[in-house]
Amino acid sequence: MSNFRIRKGKNIKLKGAAERNIVDISLPHQLAVQPQDFPGLKPRLAVKVGDVVKVGSPILIDKDVEGLKVVSPASGKVAEINRGEKRALLSIVIETDGNQESESFQKFTKDSIATQSREDITNHLLNAGLWPIIRQRPFSKIAKPHANPKAIFVHAMNTEPLAPDLDFILENSFCDFQAGLDVLKKLTDGEVHLCIAEDAKSKALTEAKNVQTHRFAGAHPTGNVSTHMHYVDPVHKGDFVWYVEVQDVLRIAALFLEGQYPVERLAAVTGEGVKNAVYVRTHVGAPVSSLLQGSNLDGMRCISGSILTGKDIGAKGFLRFYDAQVTIIPEGGKRELLGWLVPGFKKYTFSKTFASAFLPGHQVSLDTDTHGSDRAIVVNNVYDSLNTLEILPYFLLKAVISENIEDAEALGILECDEEDFALCTFACPSKTDVGGIIRQGLEMIEKEG
Amino acid sequence: MSFLQKQSKKIEKLFEKGKPLEKFYPFYEALDTFLLTPGNKTKKAPHVRDSVDLKRVMIFVVIALIPCIFMGIYNAGYQIELAKGLTHSLLGCLGLGAWKVLPIIFVAYAAGGFWEALFAVVRKHEINEGFLVTGILYALVLPPTIPLWQVAVGISFGVVIGKEIFGGTGMNILNPALTARAFLFFAYPAQMSGDAVWAAVDGFTQATPLAVVAAAPKGALATSVLAEAGYTFKDIFLGFIPGSIGETSAAACLFGLVFLLVTRVASWRIIAGCALGLTAMSMVFSLNQGAESLAFFSLPAHWHMVMGGFAFGAIFMATDPVSSSATDTGRWIYGFLIGVLVVLIRMVNPAYPEGVMLAILFMNVFAPLIDHFVVQKNIKRRLVRAEGK
Repeated sequence: MSNFRIRKGKNIKLKGAAERNIVDISLPHQLAVQPQDFPGLKPRLAVKVGDVVKVGSPILIDKDVEGLKVVSPASGKVAEINRGEKRALLSIVIETDGNQESESFQKFTKDSIATQSREDITNHLLNAGLWPIIRQRPFSKIAKPHANPKAIFVHAMNTEPLAPDLDFILENSFCDFQAGLDVLKKLTDGEVHLCIAEDAKSKALTEAKNVQTHRFAGAHPTGNVSTHMHYVDPVHKGDFVWYVEVQDVLRIAALFLEGQYPVERLAAVTGEGVKNAVYVRTHVGAPVSSLLQGSNLDGMRCISGSILTGKDIGAKGFLRFYDAQVTIIPEGGKRELLGWLVPGFKKYTFSKTFASAFLPGHQVSLDTDTHGSDRAIVVNNVYDSLNTLEILPYFLLKAVISENIEDAEALGILECDEEDFALCTFACPSKTDVGGIIRQGLEMIEKEG
Repeated sequence: MSFLQKQSKKIEKLFEKGKPLEKFYPFYEALDTFLLTPGNKTKKAPHVRDSVDLKRVMIFVVIALIPCIFMGIYNAGYQIELAKGLTHSLLGCLGLGAWKVLPIIFVAYAAGGFWEALFAVVRKHEINEGFLVTGILYALVLPPTIPLWQVAVGISFGVVIGKEIFGGTGMNILNPALTARAFLFFAYPAQMSGDAVWAAVDGFTQATPLAVVAAAPKGALATSVLAEAGYTFKDIFLGFIPGSIGETSAAACLFGLVFLLVTRVASWRIIAGCALGLTAMSMVFSLNQGAESLAFFSLPAHWHMVMGGFAFGAIFMATDPVSSSATDTGRWIYGFLIGVLVVLIRMVNPAYPEGVMLAILFMNVFAPLIDHFVVQKNIKRRLVRAEGK
């Protein structure tokens, strides 16, 4: 076990944390599979409108990677196939029939997992449609099956605003979690790194076996998987590592022990726009409206995920595949008189240019206003203290903007993802989309091979 | 929707695409967002943004300069009354000073603003608030006697050659205000230095403290030379001495310093680096002081700090984020070397006793090189780690 104390970064203490109380949500009338949730997937439809599907029936099949598929979280009928610009697939909506009849897959015991070969385990995950939960760095896309990553990281710490409390989620699931870790251990010759918060209490985390446990302390983005990799086993050119979210480790365990495609999802419903901020037990791909229990959504933004990295899905949207959080915050857009001059006792800022910065910290209320217009980057000393990796964001940005791939790689772009720069984007006085530029850089590098 | 918002919406229509005033949209945008916050919403993650924007950062620098502006106006008037042998009154000095200084500030903003707006219209980008700072910084480093046409020529050079040809705001290598000042210095030396330029009274000459020390005989003690010329530390610190408009008063600069450090608008590393560099270098000289050495050798560091434009330069000019180093280590080195160069230029170059402007411009040029080494160190560490795995 090793400990890391990260001194950079910053937490946003947003209003609307979820109470430690689980509400069971009954099976919604609709569940959705959203191809755009799966980074790197080249989806081909395996169903058409009207088809009858079971839990675990293939919905999307990858055009390039043999055996890679995304399966249905519900039994019922395919009700809608929605497409967007250039006919890109947006969502496949399944009308549930309430039976949750499931395709059955092979069952294992905890002991028999240990005797399986890597090939068998990989095939089992692919076959059951659970492979997409394993993602790889660089590029944060679905892992390539049958490859041997130098390490697998279990992302068991989350420092995003109002992120679900993993201790709470893991309560009563000690056994299962370990079984999931055992499966992952089979997939690599390297180590499985379990990265947990310094104050993690859940026994599932603190007493996990066959893994390297690392404790991290620090503010956001210390909880990001990039930070963990950076300090434990960094990604260099030619390397690749895999990573899995905590709840997905539980789902792996459930698949192996129960022989069914697991559809349960524990999610935190958060934000000041929610009537009851609680944890909900729901389904993968659930409509956000089913989770909000009568909250008034007028003038609100529904985000699947956190305010820093989530997606605006609208009041009629569905929970994204990898998300275990919904955040509802008020929309901004109010124009204020002479905003550059007001003292700002209630204006939230990382800088020291508002009176609020000198008042004692309390939970803040934030809306979606940009609080300024786009400008050239002038102030270049805000990024450094907000990134936890030992990289130089300003110079990395410059390398990407000038399309200098060699420099960008040397400056460590392969170790990063868009999400690691969300705080930089947040704090930039010129309102530069720092994360977006980094993503462009990564796309550029991926394209060039 | 407020009254202002309605009016703004109405006027905006004139500037929309295809409308007669389309080309002048940057003017509309500048005025509109000056009055009201833009009220834009985020389109994707992150869904929330910090309340601060560039406008506020830039305005804060201008606020930090207010003590310097007031002291500059007062002192300009004071020097005139001194030259004419009048008795001093607060209002008299402020009035006389304002009469001299305000037109300079006005012309600096008008001429510079013209170029800024022209480039914004031609290159189709917004008018950047950075100009609010450049314009006032430039006016404050001019002598109060400067002809107004030179003010206009200088800032034109600074904005066009110093900034816009590099690609505009954020791309420039040199500090535009200092580029403008340096251009005037080399183009019109007679009006920019010497003893006759500091008080707006014909035929009156008085040497600045730096010039007094530079002219002192070898081996003389700098502080006693200054005392003989009538300069006390207190006068120099407070700024009742001849010099450029805004930079004579180290006391006013200190107010600005406190404001900039509390609001963290300026990099404290650069300012601390400047002070350290200056102290170190003046100590080196004072250790080597002898009977044959220049009087400057004996000038203690705290005198160096309050004389000439050092305080103003280190606090307001060296800290320009665009033209300074962009790494924390680099900021220390960059600041330190400015301090060293200031002392070096003051002592070694007898023709030009004021070294701050050239020291900062020189280090502006070297800032990317300093950063290069810091960045290479970062890259190397990654390579070492990759090989050591």
